[in-house]
Amino acid sequence: MTELASVLAAFYNATQCEAGVWMRLGALDAAPTLEAGTANAPTPSRYPVPAEGAQIVASSDGDVLIAAVPGPRHAWVALGPCLRTDVQLQDFMNFLLPVVTQYLQSALEVEHAANELAERYEEINLLYTISEILGRTVSLDEAAKTILKEVSETVGARRASVLVHDRATNTLQAVAALGVDLASVQPISVDDPCSVSARVFRTQHPMLAEGNEHYCPEESSYRRGAMLSIPIMWTAPPPHGAEPLGVVNLSDRRSGHMFSAGDQKLIAAIATQIGTAIQNTRLVRASVDQQRLAHEMQLAHDLQMKLLPNNTIVAPDAIVAARVVPAESVGGDFYNLFRLGGAKTGVMIGDVSGHGYQAALIMALTMSAAAIHSQTNLDPGDMLHSLFTTLRDELTTTEMFISAFYAVIDPVAQELRYSNTGHPHAFLLSEEHGLERLAASDPPLGMDESRPLTTHRPWRPGKDLLVLFTDGVSDARNRDGERLGEERILNVLREHRHSTPDEILGRAFEVLESHTEGAPRRDDLTIVLVRT
Amino acid sequence: MSFSIKKDGEVVVVDVEGQLIVGNRQELKQKVLDELERGERKFLIDFSQTGYIDSSGLGVLVSLSKKIREQGGELRLANLNDDLKTLFELTKLDTLFQIADTRERALQSF
Repeated sequence: MTELASVLAAFYNATQCEAGVWMRLGALDAAPTLEAGTANAPTPSRYPVPAEGAQIVASSDGDVLIAAVPGPRHAWVALGPCLRTDVQLQDFMNFLLPVVTQYLQSALEVEHAANELAERYEEINLLYTISEILGRTVSLDEAAKTILKEVSETVGARRASVLVHDRATNTLQAVAALGVDLASVQPISVDDPCSVSARVFRTQHPMLAEGNEHYCPEESSYRRGAMLSIPIMWTAPPPHGAEPLGVVNLSDRRSGHMFSAGDQKLIAAIATQIGTAIQNTRLVRASVDQQRLAHEMQLAHDLQMKLLPNNTIVAPDAIVAARVVPAESVGGDFYNLFRLGGAKTGVMIGDVSGHGYQAALIMALTMSAAAIHSQTNLDPGDMLHSLFTTLRDELTTTEMFISAFYAVIDPVAQELRYSNTGHPHAFLLSEEHGLERLAASDPPLGMDESRPLTTHRPWRPGKDLLVLFTDGVSDARNRDGERLGEERILNVLREHRHSTPDEILGRAFEVLESHTEGAPRRDDLTIVLVRT
Repeated sequence: MSFSIKKDGEVVVVDVEGQLIVGNRQELKQKVLDELERGERKFLIDFSQTGYIDSSGLGVLVSLSKKIREQGGELRLANLNDDLKTLFELTKLDTLFQIADTRERALQSF
């Protein structure tokens, strides 16, 4: 009030009259204090109400003229005593009172503006703080807790909670709470008819429940008196639109005042920030899960490749050339080789329906079970049936099946015995008959309960070639989507029948690669060639 | 890729447009099982607009065939193109299904 003091000092210089502006702050019966005054401004003995107009009252230094200042403030202008005696104090009052009134009015407006500014500053500061919190953390619980603390301090709420929608249970669950133990907040069904939070979530509109209005016992932990409840929205790009993710509740206000439209606006802005945080957390989690899944797929793929046999384990009884080229994801192709004693060799090729982790597990199970059953079942049909019996439960529950071909080559007896359950591409390449298809006699394992048939063919050691490949080879597509076809592979075999299995395999893959020219594979490619 | 379902007399006829593969097989399965639950017992899957069936697609056909049979119903397949016919023959799946050349013949066979 230094400006007011200057005005009064100038007044004294002009009039040689003392003058003071008195104000009562606080309680109505408190003694007013001197807000600004001349050097010897005396204390009046009485402060008249505005309706009385200017009054002469006594003071420590004699009579003074005092008048109340109109307006919301309890303020008075007191004039006198003066050095000169011929002055008209009322004239001076008529001049000075409007000046002081105007000054106090302006000061009040400035004060309001400053308060308003301070509030806005706090809100902006809060939004900055929240942005910073969200930028720093990917933990939703931690972010929600910190945000809640900041918001509650700004609006002066002693109880607050953030409830997030759990899709699996269709309930609202507390992820952060203030003024209440988080564990004590029970999940609330979205359909709950009484809960304010559930209603706000359903309607996607904010709600101010006053006093005990809409009181719900389930909400007693985070509500005391009036509660402001705001939906947490997340707006997805079109055509999805806005989606409610949860609710923010504030209650038990320190000042005892109602929540204002300004509070509602502020909390809605913050709820949007929390919504973004929830969505970010979900996306991060999904991305981490995706990475973990990709890693598991890689492990499954490595495992699958490691399970495939070393082709030399059946040497010198049999010469084997084989290659599995897996698709982008884990596929279900496999082959296996068994030494069966007496120079006999077991050869198996198979394809587990489907791709992915589950197919890889079934394949691993098949590989190990086949190793056991091949040693105890010399008849190929028996071996495949035993294999099916072992895998039946797995195949039934997963609705998968296995197309499999299993042959036992006996070079001493010069016989090839085989059983084929749904494997489409198995051939015997011989001098006498050229290429002969070793057709399936039964559908794939898992589709049918019957015992697969065993068939036999003559086998000429050193000459005949057992040719097995999977449908990934004949179905291999080029960039125009054209299939390679079985015949192209069979032609390579015919042409190079006198070469070693390794050389024939190399030729077959040359044809395959020149057809696909690096087009993405959608299935595993497996070729197995055996000569004894 | 989509499935359209319509009723022809007592028979539920499903058209498979495009491919029947790992990515859409569950949709086909669910649609047929929903009809089965509603009390339908005669089903015909028409492949005249189908280019390709992968091994998972075949698995779903077998699984549907089993489930329909368990409820005392019947499933027929019709209009397999040459590639699909070869696939069914080579894998011996033709022994598990009743397959007709045309939709009309399949409908008459019920």
